[in-house]
Amino acid sequence: MAGETALLELGLLFAAVGLVGALAARIDQSVIPFYILAGMVLNPFVAGRVAPISLETTPFVELGAEVGIVLLLLFLGLEFNLDRLLADRARISAAGAIDFAINFGVGLLLGYVLFRAVLPAFLIAGAVYISSSAIISKSLIDLGWIANDEASPILGTLVAEDLLIALYLVVASAMLAGGSDLAGTVQSMGVAVGFMLGLLVVVHYGTPVFEALLETNSREFLVLRALGLVVPIAGLGLLLGVSEAVAAFFVGMAVSATGHVSRLETLLEPVRDVFAAIFFFWIGLVTDPLLLGEVLGLIVLAVFLTTPTKLASGYLAGRIYGLNVRRSTRVALGMTTRGEFTLIIAALALSGAGGVLSTGLAETIYAFAVGYVLVMSVLGTTLMQYATPIENAVSRRFA
Amino acid sequence: MTVYETDLPGVGRKFEIDVDNGAQLVIVIHNTGKREVYRKPNPEADAEKVFEASNQLSQTIGSILEGAKFQPVEVDHEGTMLPGDTVLEWYTVTPDSELAGCSLGESAIREGSDVLVVAIQRGEEIITSPGPDTTVEPGDVLVVIGTQSQVLDFETLVADEVTEE
Repeated sequence: MAGETALLELGLLFAAVGLVGALAARIDQSVIPFYILAGMVLNPFVAGRVAPISLETTPFVELGAEVGIVLLLLFLGLEFNLDRLLADRARISAAGAIDFAINFGVGLLLGYVLFRAVLPAFLIAGAVYISSSAIISKSLIDLGWIANDEASPILGTLVAEDLLIALYLVVASAMLAGGSDLAGTVQSMGVAVGFMLGLLVVVHYGTPVFEALLETNSREFLVLRALGLVVPIAGLGLLLGVSEAVAAFFVGMAVSATGHVSRLETLLEPVRDVFAAIFFFWIGLVTDPLLLGEVLGLIVLAVFLTTPTKLASGYLAGRIYGLNVRRSTRVALGMTTRGEFTLIIAALALSGAGGVLSTGLAETIYAFAVGYVLVMSVLGTTLMQYATPIENAVSRRFA
Repeated sequence: MTVYETDLPGVGRKFEIDVDNGAQLVIVIHNTGKREVYRKPNPEADAEKVFEASNQLSQTIGSILEGAKFQPVEVDHEGTMLPGDTVLEWYTVTPDSELAGCSLGESAIREGSDVLVVAIQRGEEIITSPGPDTTVEPGDVLVVIGTQSQVLDFETLVADEVTEE
């Protein structure tokens, strides 16, 4: 059995996320920064310094966090529909291209100026580029924007980001796994691309197999089989040095073509949320707030640079969809939130520590991404809540 | 009437329907099965949520709106289905019905269809086993019995003459 305090510690984890989740809901904020802060407060760096007990990350929590990432990306794949993307490709690709060019570009520039190397710049660029599908979709529904015209450009841009982040994670994983020389990177890229192509074939031809595998009336069996499908494939991806997250994304895509998708989503959603909460809590658990203090300047700089860039690309997306100044402003405000994917990139950077990326640099990038998400998730949610006065001011001025 | 359908990636589907005076009804069907109904006073305005309902409740509401549920004829058929193929059905005679004022024998009921008028309800009074010389009066409710096809024939026969209740 586990160590004598292990169960109690895990219990404290769930009690903590339960408690702060309620608090977040009370003040209409996203739960993600609250889960992170809960982990941060209880970790050895904070509670360990001032209180008699603190929580440390355990192999179970780490694995749980990993499963959280896998399930987040599985859902991204489940909801990703290539046909729908193609049906609206002109607008989605235009909005997506502007979004990528402006935000990824600024991130790349910022990263390169600060670290003078390609890999850290690439990681910073990904972290500041990708908006949070989870938080933004939820806010859209909570605020009732989902029924308005601004929903289309926001969700369309997010779809483009989802596709790009899948490709991004492949490249980033390969760059982190490859040796310091170009040959190593090329080799790991080769493995990654090979694995991806294999998965694409599986996605293309595997639908009847998945259909049959998931064919059951039992809810228990459906959940277990889905996990039995996605977790091993993701694990295999990780073993081969390809991102486990991307493998999960492809499995999600394959399953989304079967008739089980809506039932599976309903049943797996709470499972995903449990493991995602562990992931966010784990993020906080391994973050030393002092380290956060060291990168405070970088965080502030990034917030001041990348909030306007997201606002600009969001506004342009609204215009591409033919919306007026007021609604385009709303699209802009809706796109600023960063969240789970930035944290996945942070976790990826941390996993590369000591290899291609020096431990110090990996920890800096990690701490930066965590602090950045804490600011941007709260800022983005708040901007959406106070959208009306901002829209009024903008449309008085420009419309 | 135009219905605009939009895909909401990761959320579900959205339907916009133009209603009166430029207002729009917006229905969002979530992937989870939840439905939300919004109203926009005009296409430029923000949508205001009217109500939300679960998948099952929405289907019930939908069939009521459609008229498929609680339609009198349906209920009558269901409520008065006798064992076998026999149906008991009733019709109200309106003042301008051609049946009004005629006796059962004069009217075309027996010739046009094979149903049997088993009773006539006239106000509080019930006339059981009416004969051929019983006169049909406006406001009467004719209770007829027959096979399903016979009752259907009767229904087409009197369709223009009496109002179903």
